[in-house]
Amino acid sequence: MRSKPTGVIFFPAFDWAISPTHPEREERLLYTRDQIFEEGLLDLPEIEEYPPKLATIHDIARVHFCVPRVQSQVTEAHMIAAGAALSLGDSIIKGEIKNGFAMVRPPGHHAMRVVHGNRGFCNINNEAVLVEYLRRRYGIKRVAIVDSDVHHGDGTQEIFYHDPNVLFISFHQDGRTIYPGSGFTHELGGPGAYARTLNIPLPPGMTDRTFHYVVDNLVLPVIRDFQPDFIINSAGQDNHYTDPLGSMRFTAHGYAEFTRKLNPHMAVLEGGYAIETALPYVNMSILMALAGINFSNVREADLDTAGFRESDDRFAQVQKMVEELLAIWERRDRVDIEKIFGTGKFYQRKKFIYYDTDYIEEEQFEKVRVCGSCPGYLVIESRANRGFGEPARVLAISIPIDACQNCQTEAYACYEQGMVDRKQYNFIMLQDKSTDTCLSCDREKKQEWKSEGPKPGV
Amino acid sequence: MYIGLDVGGTYTDAVLLEKGQVRAWAKVPTRQDLLTSLLEAFDKIMAGAHADLIERVVLSTTVITNLIAEKKYDPVGLILIPGPGLDHSHYRYDTETCILGGAIDYRGREIVPLDSGEIDGALARMTSLNYKKVAVVGKFSSRNNKHEQEVFKRIRQSGLDWQVELGHRVAGQLNFPRRVMSTLLTCATREKYQFFADSVLAALDKRGIRCPVYILKADGGTMPLHKSLDSPVETIFSGPAASILGVQALIPPGETAVVVDIGGTTSDLALILSGQPLLSSKGANIDGKMTHVRALAVKSVPVGGDSVVEQVGKEIILLSERMGPPYCMGGPMPTPTDALKVLGLTRLGDLGRAKEAMRMLGRPLGMQTWEVAARIMLLVTGAITSEINKMFMSWEQEPAYRVWEVLQKRKDRPNTVVGVGGAASGFLTQIAATLNCYPVIPPYARVANAVGAAVARPTLQVSLRADTEQGTYSIQEEGFQGPIEDRPFNEEKALELARYWLGKRAEKYGLKDDLGEVEVIRKEVFNMVRDWVTRGKLIDVAVQTRRGILHYIGSGVERDEK
Repeated sequence: MRSKPTGVIFFPAFDWAISPTHPEREERLLYTRDQIFEEGLLDLPEIEEYPPKLATIHDIARVHFCVPRVQSQVTEAHMIAAGAALSLGDSIIKGEIKNGFAMVRPPGHHAMRVVHGNRGFCNINNEAVLVEYLRRRYGIKRVAIVDSDVHHGDGTQEIFYHDPNVLFISFHQDGRTIYPGSGFTHELGGPGAYARTLNIPLPPGMTDRTFHYVVDNLVLPVIRDFQPDFIINSAGQDNHYTDPLGSMRFTAHGYAEFTRKLNPHMAVLEGGYAIETALPYVNMSILMALAGINFSNVREADLDTAGFRESDDRFAQVQKMVEELLAIWERRDRVDIEKIFGTGKFYQRKKFIYYDTDYIEEEQFEKVRVCGSCPGYLVIESRANRGFGEPARVLAISIPIDACQNCQTEAYACYEQGMVDRKQYNFIMLQDKSTDTCLSCDREKKQEWKSEGPKPGV
Repeated sequence: MYIGLDVGGTYTDAVLLEKGQVRAWAKVPTRQDLLTSLLEAFDKIMAGAHADLIERVVLSTTVITNLIAEKKYDPVGLILIPGPGLDHSHYRYDTETCILGGAIDYRGREIVPLDSGEIDGALARMTSLNYKKVAVVGKFSSRNNKHEQEVFKRIRQSGLDWQVELGHRVAGQLNFPRRVMSTLLTCATREKYQFFADSVLAALDKRGIRCPVYILKADGGTMPLHKSLDSPVETIFSGPAASILGVQALIPPGETAVVVDIGGTTSDLALILSGQPLLSSKGANIDGKMTHVRALAVKSVPVGGDSVVEQVGKEIILLSERMGPPYCMGGPMPTPTDALKVLGLTRLGDLGRAKEAMRMLGRPLGMQTWEVAARIMLLVTGAITSEINKMFMSWEQEPAYRVWEVLQKRKDRPNTVVGVGGAASGFLTQIAATLNCYPVIPPYARVANAVGAAVARPTLQVSLRADTEQGTYSIQEEGFQGPIEDRPFNEEKALELARYWLGKRAEKYGLKDDLGEVEVIRKEVFNMVRDWVTRGKLIDVAVQTRRGILHYIGSGVERDEK
């Protein structure tokens, strides 16, 4: 029997841009289209093209607390990009395709759980929407997300920080030298999900050698250990040596080889703004690698790796980091969690989030219930300063899909309390993933909305 | 008066149209000697009409399709310039294929120049193998044809008088493998096609018909016969296109319908959506390979009136092959036509033999003759209706690359099933009932293809792509590339320029007067921004003469389609 094809949804959104000269504009996937069409890749039996479809408001609400509402944060383009990932997910689970590539824009990996606006070109986290959809709809348990964008996938990390069933690994250019300024080795996940978040910040200028050292010695062994049911690659392409925003020196061939080794169920396009010199080649070779097509003849027009010399010191630095992280991973279930995170009913932290695209400053106070029988519910108090008018104050409560009865009851009580609290939140929101119910309340308008996902079997 | 002529493998059909009415029609067997068949058909429809009154003749034919299917053409050598990308082992064809180094990128920039020694090597190899026909195709040659031109120049400098076809002149759209196939087939069929065209012209000349002669293309448009010699592959599948246009002319305007053409061994299915025949989103598939030939979407199902029916175990099954005529007409095996006969749905054949055929199948299963016939009926209609449903589904599954396209995705379902072709009438009611539609067999259904040819109108298309940063533009259909002179260049000027080229092309095709209204079918503008500064624009526009047909038959008045 012939093996199943690779599914691809190509959605270049030729009629959508953040602004006319913004990197995230209509032209971004134009040359990729030219390259893939001219190669005739979509005519090959190994590849099956699917049309995009729209994600629903509820698919978004299951992941994000959009302020004030989902409709005010997303455009149709976002619904289509997220919908593309869901649609490919459906086809993979149904067994029509062996894997998929959502070659879509706009991207999503900087979008966090609470969304006040656009940050890092992202509003909606396409991967997170996919993960929650797969878990809810198909009962998928364990998911691994590997982020290969040059920028730290801080949105994805934040959403799954306390989730022991989602392994998040990101390698990226060192946050001290590039947006968003996070993604250091000490960011390892919350008390209930320790070491389920791993970050490998790379010194600028590193090449495919370092890329594959990290993949072979850390990413692949950890994933083998974790035994995920579903692997997602946040396929940012800005580690490429020609990228105008990043300073790394990876090649299209390096990306393809990585895709072949990781063998993800799905790749979702993230960043990558060398729209002429990198994207046509990287996108094409990722697609070929997924489909099991020989990619050795794909070559950038100006490729000359002879000039790519890495500093040996920096490489040694990366080697040491990989060893340390691997050690942390191996000890993950034996460490004294209370020693690291302290004791008490809640683990809490304060966060400051900057929305570079929309110039919004957000302050967050996040509490997670430390619970012996489930990952615990999450309470977020968020206050966003838009530089005009009153800051928006939000109380957001999230109940995990495998929540215990006790956490669920406490979380709903917390929602009720928010309605009458002296703190005067403008919006109070709750997402109950265990019953797939989302509640949202606008206190000034005295209005409450409720949405529920489709009943199982529908 | 218009003449429509369809030269098929078995029959040649002709109709004479006068003011939107069929004045005469003929169906004669296609003989080895094409000229005789054509003359016979002409004489039948022209009885009592003067040759001077004929305003135009339009042909459709399966001659080229048959040539390709039977591989009756001279060998064609391939010289390819694929550059980086897919591994070159993908470019294997069952003919000599020389691969040259050299590469052009998506914006037409030369990445790797050609090596003249390598070109000479390829020419020597083709010469030693005695190739007289050669196709030269480069990746992204429609963005820059420099390499193809260089090879061509070298061939002529070397004094080789080969018939050479260049990829950019045959197919300007993106997709290198499809361009290779289109170019190869163009090269292969040109000579034979010339012979066909000459026979037609000779026949017309003998009967004193001196009006313009056109040929139908696979996309349902027409072009002058003498011009079609440039691109004979455009006429493959003009047979199916003719019957679809015929149906379009024979049913009320604006209808959404399924066209079912049931023949002896295959059934062709096509869709008319809100009055317009559906174009295939991918190019026509010829001999298992994709090409760039724009064609109406036609799905062939290997089921027909003469298909063999067998009893295997407890089942009655339908095979895709034909072993001769139906049993009721003296054939060796039971067929769907025998079932129709038993059910009283056809006048053909002998009832006794038809019943015998059903008994042969039914006896081991303990089934009555009418039960067997009903079962066969269900098998045939089931095979056809499931394909129709699949066609609608795949039409809805077409990819979309813009937000508005995704938002306006339509769901359309037919309300009419139109039957044409020999065996259609017997099965039609059942097929329509399954799809919850009205069955329609239009008048002149037997010669719908010739009617379609007669009402087809010329279509011309021009696609222009301008790169203002590089200061160049190209016309896909003409294989032209040149500098932008009128600067600063913008969208309006691009459209103006495209219209100018359309006019020029129309003139070349002798269609200046028929041009009519020009439609803009694509208009894309991309700002090229580098380092936050707009450096130029990529403008991609396409214009065409309006698609449609000249008349609706039986409406009594001559009018353009709305």
